[in-house]
Amino acid sequence: MSSSAVASKRLFHEYRTLTNDPPEGITAGPVNEDDLFLWEALIQGPEGTPFEGGLFPAELKFPKDYPLAPPKMKFTCDIWHPNVYPSGDVCISILHPPGDDPNHYEHASERWSPIQSVEKILISVMSMLAEPNDESPANVDAARMWRERRSEYEKIVRENVRKGLGL
Amino acid sequence: MDSDDEINSVQSSEDDFMDDEDSLGEDFDAVEEPDDFGFSQDKDIKPRKQAYEVDFKVWGPGQIQDQQDKQVEEVSAVIGQPTESTAILLRHARWNKERLIESYMDKRDEVLESSGLSEDKEGSASITKADDFMCDICCEDGKDLDTFAMKCGHRFCVNCYRTYLASKIRDEGEAARIKCPGEGCERIVDSKSLKLLVTEDLKDRYHELLTRTYVDDMNNLKWCPAPDCTYAVECGVKQKDLTKIVPTVTCSCGHHFCFGCSLNDHQPAPCMLVKKWMKKCEDDSETANWISANTKECPKCHSTIEKNGGCNHMTCRKCRHEFCWMCMGVWSEHGTSWYNCNRYEEKSGSDARDAQAKSRQSLERYLHYYNRYANHEQSAKLDKDIYLKTEKKMTQLQSSSNMSWIEVQFLQEASQALQQCRQTLKWTYAFAYYLARNNLTEIFEDNQKDLEMAVENLSEMFEKSTDQLAGLKVEMLDKTSYCKRRRIILLNDTAENLKSGMILIIPNS
Repeated sequence: MSSSAVASKRLFHEYRTLTNDPPEGITAGPVNEDDLFLWEALIQGPEGTPFEGGLFPAELKFPKDYPLAPPKMKFTCDIWHPNVYPSGDVCISILHPPGDDPNHYEHASERWSPIQSVEKILISVMSMLAEPNDESPANVDAARMWRERRSEYEKIVRENVRKGLGL
Repeated sequence: MDSDDEINSVQSSEDDFMDDEDSLGEDFDAVEEPDDFGFSQDKDIKPRKQAYEVDFKVWGPGQIQDQQDKQVEEVSAVIGQPTESTAILLRHARWNKERLIESYMDKRDEVLESSGLSEDKEGSASITKADDFMCDICCEDGKDLDTFAMKCGHRFCVNCYRTYLASKIRDEGEAARIKCPGEGCERIVDSKSLKLLVTEDLKDRYHELLTRTYVDDMNNLKWCPAPDCTYAVECGVKQKDLTKIVPTVTCSCGHHFCFGCSLNDHQPAPCMLVKKWMKKCEDDSETANWISANTKECPKCHSTIEKNGGCNHMTCRKCRHEFCWMCMGVWSEHGTSWYNCNRYEEKSGSDARDAQAKSRQSLERYLHYYNRYANHEQSAKLDKDIYLKTEKKMTQLQSSSNMSWIEVQFLQEASQALQQCRQTLKWTYAFAYYLARNNLTEIFEDNQKDLEMAVENLSEMFEKSTDQLAGLKVEMLDKTSYCKRRRIILLNDTAENLKSGMILIIPNS
């Protein structure tokens, strides 16, 4: 069986589980059921954080050798967060393959492995929204603001939430 | 100490020469006895161990394996398990023999269980076909699918299991402690399972990694950090003693390194100061220090200003504020005394001036040591270039002065000595930066000065043209051994004082 057939099978399986039993605050699925390698996801802002009330759309791109290699995730809305690049790309350990550690501090166990799943990625991203990791910021300005001027950071986040909802 | 040195410098040239020969690290079989000078009669004049030296032993790859096998056999005899299982148990116990034997006697089943060796047959791992199974990784199912699970019951298809293990072994370099791929499962994949699953092409890598973990697990063993070196060094210096001892060891490949931190030889400075110093040199905090020492801020808009000459009447480019560079007060308050500040004693500006003076002083102190440190580093690099040309020089010398190959070895020796002494000198400056001043520091500085002068003398001779070199042979030999002797004196002196706690380190410098 070719690797992309394995990937399709597995993605289809994950899609079915996510639809039948979706975790709270998360919806995800292929943009188009003919192409299982491009997904869109909606993540609710976690309660008790400045992201609360927001709905954050993102896209997930899966490689042909999934689940050996992790997908790439990118927010398609404005999001001000230390671990999200200004382009929207998400930088989080679970999305990094085990052999490669750009930041030289992540444990192999925190990183991608074939037994991780889309669901686990999205849950990790949700908790990342609540608790940024400022050790290796993707957005240095946001990280500094988060560290030094928290109220200003939260203000920008809330503004983005309102903007996202079209208010 | 000085008189002692005079005597030694003459008679020591021979043994130093041999010593050097050794550190060249030619590929001879001195693995077991790195201190062996290669010629038996030299043992008689081999100097006793110096205060700055530590005992160590170099092990080759084969010897590491033998050592491992011996330990396995020993323990195997005690606990009555076959050697293969004993090896698994020992690896699991991180080669702590005593603890393993003790806990094995106490709770045999628990120990066997935790290292994946439990004997009951139903749980024993094997490749099977399972009914009603779907692999969580590739989502394959079917009655004909080969699957594998350890006792923990996390079952995956054999293909996915193999890929998982291969990526652990090949990409992550794990071997002895690979965990079950099941999420959150802490069970270690035991060697029996690995034997079953690891593909032929990865077996070598797997065994190499197993040997690696042996050295990594032993506190008294360390790999030589030189590129492609396969030796490991054994040394008894404990981590907690590193504030008092600087354990420099020499691998059979010729690389000198610190057993404590694996960095290049940094005697006489202890590991923690080396770490501190390197961090300080890397930090841009010194840039900030420079700014604060060389600039002032406009008292009104706080722009940073560097005075580029001229009089004390400053006009800020940004906010047009006029002030006096000397007292930092408003210029108009100077009244009639234009261009001459007589308000210097006033309180308002004096605090700011004190802060500035202090930071300037600390910067100058740092730069004093840093410049000398960096200079020796740089010179050592240049000397190394010369060293590379030495061979050519030696050949030239042979043809121009009818000297034999043996007779021109002194150049090689001098070049080696230069390198080593500069390395030491470099670190004496980093060390001195952290020293609190007392009588010992003066002795230390005298020693440093002596060594430095000797090194510079030798370095200068080295640059002479080939025809002059032949005439300088005796002098160079003398200088070379003098340099070495001075280095030993400095290192001994510092090592002794460090050991006895006589050297005081400035806290938080």
